[in-house]
Amino acid sequence: MRIRAERDDLADVLGRAARAVSNRSPLPILQGVLCEVEGGRLRVTGTDGEITIRTSLQVEALEEGRTLVPAKLVAEAVRKLPAGAVAMSSAGGQVEITGNGPRFRLRELNVDDYPATAPKATSGGITMDGDLLTRALNQVGVAASGDDARPTLTGVLFEADEEGSRLVATDGYRLAVRDLAGAENFPTTLVPNRALKEVSRTIGDSKITVDLGEREATFGSERGSMTVRVIEGAFPPYRHFFGSFPNRLTVPREALLDAVGRASLVAEDHIPVRLNLHQGGVELSITRQEVGEETEHIEGDFQGEDMTIAFNVRYLTDGVAAVVGDDVVIHATDPVKPGLVTGTDEEGFRYLLMPVRV
Amino acid sequence: MTADPPPILHVDLDAFYATAEQVRDPRLRGKAMAVGEGVIMAASYEARRFGVRSAMSTAVARRLCPGLIVVGGHFEDYSRLSTTVFDICAEFTPVVEQISIDEAFLDVSGALHLFGSSVAIAGELRRRVRHDTGLVLSVGVASTKFLAKVASRVAKPDGLVVVDPPTEIAFLHALPATAIWGVGRATETRLGELGIGTVGQLANTDPTTLRHHLGRSAGGHLHALAWNRDPRPVVTSHRVKSVGAQSAFGRGGTDPAVRHRVLVDLADRVGRRLRAKELAGRTVTARIRFDDMTAITRSATLKAPIATTPAIVSLAVRLAEEGIAAVAAGRVINLLGIAVSQLSSSPHLQLELPFGEAPGEGVQRAGSVQERARHELDLAIDALRSRFGTDAVGPASLVLGGRTGSVPDAFRDLATRDR
Repeated sequence: MRIRAERDDLADVLGRAARAVSNRSPLPILQGVLCEVEGGRLRVTGTDGEITIRTSLQVEALEEGRTLVPAKLVAEAVRKLPAGAVAMSSAGGQVEITGNGPRFRLRELNVDDYPATAPKATSGGITMDGDLLTRALNQVGVAASGDDARPTLTGVLFEADEEGSRLVATDGYRLAVRDLAGAENFPTTLVPNRALKEVSRTIGDSKITVDLGEREATFGSERGSMTVRVIEGAFPPYRHFFGSFPNRLTVPREALLDAVGRASLVAEDHIPVRLNLHQGGVELSITRQEVGEETEHIEGDFQGEDMTIAFNVRYLTDGVAAVVGDDVVIHATDPVKPGLVTGTDEEGFRYLLMPVRV
Repeated sequence: MTADPPPILHVDLDAFYATAEQVRDPRLRGKAMAVGEGVIMAASYEARRFGVRSAMSTAVARRLCPGLIVVGGHFEDYSRLSTTVFDICAEFTPVVEQISIDEAFLDVSGALHLFGSSVAIAGELRRRVRHDTGLVLSVGVASTKFLAKVASRVAKPDGLVVVDPPTEIAFLHALPATAIWGVGRATETRLGELGIGTVGQLANTDPTTLRHHLGRSAGGHLHALAWNRDPRPVVTSHRVKSVGAQSAFGRGGTDPAVRHRVLVDLADRVGRRLRAKELAGRTVTARIRFDDMTAITRSATLKAPIATTPAIVSLAVRLAEEGIAAVAAGRVINLLGIAVSQLSSSPHLQLELPFGEAPGEGVQRAGSVQERARHELDLAIDALRSRFGTDAVGPASLVLGGRTGSVPDAFRDLATRDR
């Protein structure tokens, strides 16, 4: 194969595909990115066996063919070339990359050993606003678990019912739900959050097509596609948490975030911030033995009975930060039942979090 | 010219349980006798001459030493005698670090103007302990805790060894490598393969070589000790760092069902002690010792600290069985131990969302509904037991299977210490 392309374009398609490649891959062959040239297009594929990212670029194709090269190395090599045109060609077990003087010769990996990665014929999928999807994924993604001991909690649930489609994630301590009222109905699918974090980075675009299959989920756009194996197993039942909450505090979102940020200066991760909810607002306080304490009051609207509830600082911050709008509403029942964080406009985001027993 | 005697004392009661029995019953003095039921906990020096050792089964001990007198443990007396001894120590210096029922470190550097030299204090301590209690105290005096402990070992039985700083390296280097606490049989074998028999040879071996053969931390540690580099101070009121229990047994250890019962019993005791101190721990360690006295340990760390018996059991069983399967299938096990560390007394508990999981699913996760309910249950069980006795209520596998071992609980709880 032999191509010519602009350095920035080539570095971009190689770099994005290389994001799927893991340095710790058990199979050495998966350390490579597959480069295929056909019909004036370069298609680049990277995978770690679970996540596969495909990108492509219109190039000046001087000779069709395919090659497999070490992913991180080739992406970095191209990126570090001088700006301008870059030529890439493979022959005799080597890939040569040149541009404005420098010349890299990289050993090819055995392309015939690379697992079959031909994208399956797409059965359509659901096309939706790309910004809306990536924002929603970020909103719920904070609640997903990173602990592989409970695999079903490491995913984001895509599902739909009579009220429409939604995304849900939980790590067992908090649970985030984002309704996507306008979107076509998602078939119930549990997609690894680790892969979803890559959607905006690798294929983010104004329109994204979501194709949720029984074994794999694929997210595609003009910029490429990301395919991942879905998580088997059932997402825990969660709807019963959203009953009625007798106590409701409405405060300016930025003020609450700033206050929690100040309080966290005093705390270690496991020391909770106490919220004393009362008529007229909330008093935040945090105390750490042998270090000190911080307290402050935020004015707001409170309806219900005065009460105190304590939350992990990071869990509370994640939820408040994910809310869109000027105000945030904290709903609570008692000091040991879940609290709920929402916005005031009906944006369809709900963030449930368990308190810390103090 | 001689330097001032060094300020650290290691005091150690000789054959403590056995001597304590001889104090109670003068007819036992000068006799080959031992304390224990089923398993020897301590033997008099007369019995040791026949090869009787702690952790040996009574049957084996009797075979080695016909006519051996074996007596039961009078735990309250031991505890009282021990308290008396350390009260005497406290009369000389407030800096007493008790490390078990019969051993302590003392730093007397602040007491020299009152009592003269550390050597004088050591001599007076030995005299007072013998006079007031009838027990025999051996003392090592040196510049570090490590060397003081080595010295007291050399001093036994009934002796006092002072290692003057100018001669300490010469003293240490002449000793066999096994004099260093922590050099067990496995390490001794490995050192032997390197041609190292004495502390001096150890000291003059390249630390890189030691790290390579003994592991990074153990190698460096032993080399430092061989040059008497031990920066640990004597600490008075140390906070409890771990709570543990162990159980020695005969042949049963190769049977997984027996092992399981022993681990349940140990976890039951450790959990109860943790809860009594209002502590919980994140790390659970299982220790398995074999009949050649080599041992392995396996540990796991949780996200949040636990103190319930089932959580400790499930982790300890998993760790022990994994450890045995990995390195020890078929070997004879003669001791199992459990310790819980990374302790915290924080009242804060991050609760988990109640997903309505099946019983048993939330075990080992402190904030789960199941684990919280179990904690309440365990506290209720503890309360019942402190009122009606340990056997009033307990794990079914122990009640139905018969409690393991023949050593009374009171003795074990006395002999196991929290560090």
